[in-house]
Amino acid sequence: MKYFALIIPLIFLVLFVFALVKKIKLYDTFTEGVKEAIPLVLSVFPYLAAMLMLSELFERSGLSAALTSFLAPAFRFLGIPPEIAKLVLLKPFSGSGSTALLSEIFATYGADSYIARCAAVCYGSSETVFYISAVYFAGTGRKNLVKPIAVALISNFLSVLLGCFLCRIL
Amino acid sequence: MNAVFAAVFVLSAALFLLTDPEGFLPALLAGGEKAATLSLSLLAAYCVWLGFFKVLEKSGLSEKLSRLVYPAARRLFRSDDREALMLASQNLSANFLGLPGAPTPLGIRATAAFEKSGNRYASDMLFVLNATSLQLLPTTVIALRLAAGSSSAADILLPTLLATLFSTACGVFLLMLFSKKRPHSAKTAPHPRKMRARRLKR
Repeated sequence: MKYFALIIPLIFLVLFVFALVKKIKLYDTFTEGVKEAIPLVLSVFPYLAAMLMLSELFERSGLSAALTSFLAPAFRFLGIPPEIAKLVLLKPFSGSGSTALLSEIFATYGADSYIARCAAVCYGSSETVFYISAVYFAGTGRKNLVKPIAVALISNFLSVLLGCFLCRIL
Repeated sequence: MNAVFAAVFVLSAALFLLTDPEGFLPALLAGGEKAATLSLSLLAAYCVWLGFFKVLEKSGLSEKLSRLVYPAARRLFRSDDREALMLASQNLSANFLGLPGAPTPLGIRATAAFEKSGNRYASDMLFVLNATSLQLLPTTVIALRLAAGSSSAADILLPTLLATLFSTACGVFLLMLFSKKRPHSAKTAPHPRKMRARRLKR
């Protein structure tokens, strides 16, 4: 665990020393890169805003809870504890929402319980699919994203199945 | 995306109307507020990493690194666009190392470059790899578990790694499967192997 903290400072140190050896003007070059940050955030912002409003609606309206209780029997049949169904449904929409939910699960069931470990694996092995698609394809003007999104959602769901199974046997 | 947005929005709005009409606007505003604060923290991360990447680019180091992964990346993305492949491989390495905020600007640029040349297979592949989270160390989860008083916070490492490897493999496999019918229509870039075969024929 400790050694992983070394990665980031080490990467910077190696690069900057290398750049100095190559006689790169560090200050000028670094600021040139930073210049691109604001346009990038601006280009992503509308999609980010729409996505986050949608995820708030999804959660607060009770739609996610309704879907969860509706799908719970199917989830149980597949070996996914119903307590985690909500996390599985929320994760594609909202990173911050699912982080909050994960710590809630830890607090409710204890961080070392089967449910909590399952939730941790589900959270760690799946991604915020809709959020990423909104951000990555924001500038391209492409409309039809059915295939990539479907593939990502299916793969994430399969990994949840495997994760819950692994938590039972490991 | 339009369909998902419309469906979730309309259903949620209808539910609000029935159960809690006063909660509707606050929910939207909360979303907007999150967008504003998240944009600020993204801006902070982009400042750090875009500066870093510019130094990486100018020093010639990224060129060197990309030469290493170029053959593999070319095959994976079915693309010959050197610039885009370089961005895509840097995006994947940043993801793998879990550098917070670093993969996004690279991914956005690589996607734009792939889309510009009409190579949808490549941008789909990059998206699927990103959306199936190939990450070495799930730092957030471990930190949260430690905070919740776990006695062995790292014992989810192995199952998480296996599950995420599995999801990435599934994603790549499914995308290849679905794209098989017309892997290189007129618009998409030809497969490198075919390119080479063509070159050999000449």
